[in-house]
Amino acid sequence: MEGCKRGNRRAYERLYELHAGRLKSIAFHLVGSRADAEDAVQEMFLKVYRAMDGFEGQSSLATWMCRILINCCYDVLRKKGRAAEQPLRAEAATESKVPMKLALERALQRLNERQRIVFLLFEVEGLRHSEIAAVLQIAEGTSRSWLFEAKRELKRSLMEKGA
Amino acid sequence: MKFECGDLDRALSMPELMPEAREHFKQCAACRREYRLWTEISTAAKELHEEWESPELWPRIQRSIDAEPKPQPAWWKEWKTWAIAAVALIGVSAAVWRTWQHMAPTSPQGSTAVSNAADRDFLTEQALAEVERNESAYRQSIDKLSQLAQPKLENPASAVSVNYREKLVMIDSAIAETRANLDQNRFNMRLQTELANLYREKQETLKELLTRDQKN
Repeated sequence: MEGCKRGNRRAYERLYELHAGRLKSIAFHLVGSRADAEDAVQEMFLKVYRAMDGFEGQSSLATWMCRILINCCYDVLRKKGRAAEQPLRAEAATESKVPMKLALERALQRLNERQRIVFLLFEVEGLRHSEIAAVLQIAEGTSRSWLFEAKRELKRSLMEKGA
Repeated sequence: MKFECGDLDRALSMPELMPEAREHFKQCAACRREYRLWTEISTAAKELHEEWESPELWPRIQRSIDAEPKPQPAWWKEWKTWAIAAVALIGVSAAVWRTWQHMAPTSPQGSTAVSNAADRDFLTEQALAEVERNESAYRQSIDKLSQLAQPKLENPASAVSVNYREKLVMIDSAIAETRANLDQNRFNMRLQTELANLYREKQETLKELLTRDQKN
């Protein structure tokens, strides 16, 4: 982080190596395509670079970057004139060979935004509730509650479809 | 409590109810299926993580960062704030010093005005240096006056001259004491003012001694 604060390019590259995988995946689930996800990640890094000097480390660098990324994803969706709830990614659906995975991807699109994002961060990307709380700036209990609502909706949706 | 199908959702959010729920699953295929689905959701969710190679992404990010103006470091922003604060302080200190310089040596009433100004207990280091420079110059000029008066003081021609000598000894002693106190706290404006008043007193006394002797 100190290297980044000094504007050291190598430090930013290290940051990219450490976090890009997870950040791209989160962005992909929010914007629906790999190209848009990469645009969002690029924009996020630019914003991190501009704001690094003001980052005081109250949250971890990873959760701070994740918070910025989510906002970048919403910007990408706005620019593209798409609603966040719009069905996502034909590419992943066609690649999938696993019925449960495919059914889950489709069911996920029917969740509301807050349920979907908490589910993605917890179940898909493996963030802890404390981290999700920091990213979304909500209470840890709220994160748990939204996750439960999300899973209950997914269960209902999957049962209706006979998964 | 008898666990029923309607309790399943509650059990899923409260792990302490799970042992009873598991007992219930043994007899209820529907709940068993629901619970299996619940755990499968979490398992399948892990597979939704997307990984792909993006060899062009980092170079793109690097180019966009390179195109950005270099962000100003924190010390630079802080320096600007401190510079503004320092200029303001120097201005205030200079005003205080001017008041002290004009009031202290000439008018006895000036001490009140000076002590009002001295309510600001502390001077900045820079203003203090200026005060000390002026004080030093003032002291040197008084020392010259003292040298002129020295022969009269060493051989007082009258009882009045003896009184002047004793008064000057007292003033010198007070000056020495005030200066010793100032060495402990150079920023104390009240002591600086007191010292200025003592020098003024010494100057007035020496002038009186010299002019009296000239008249005589």
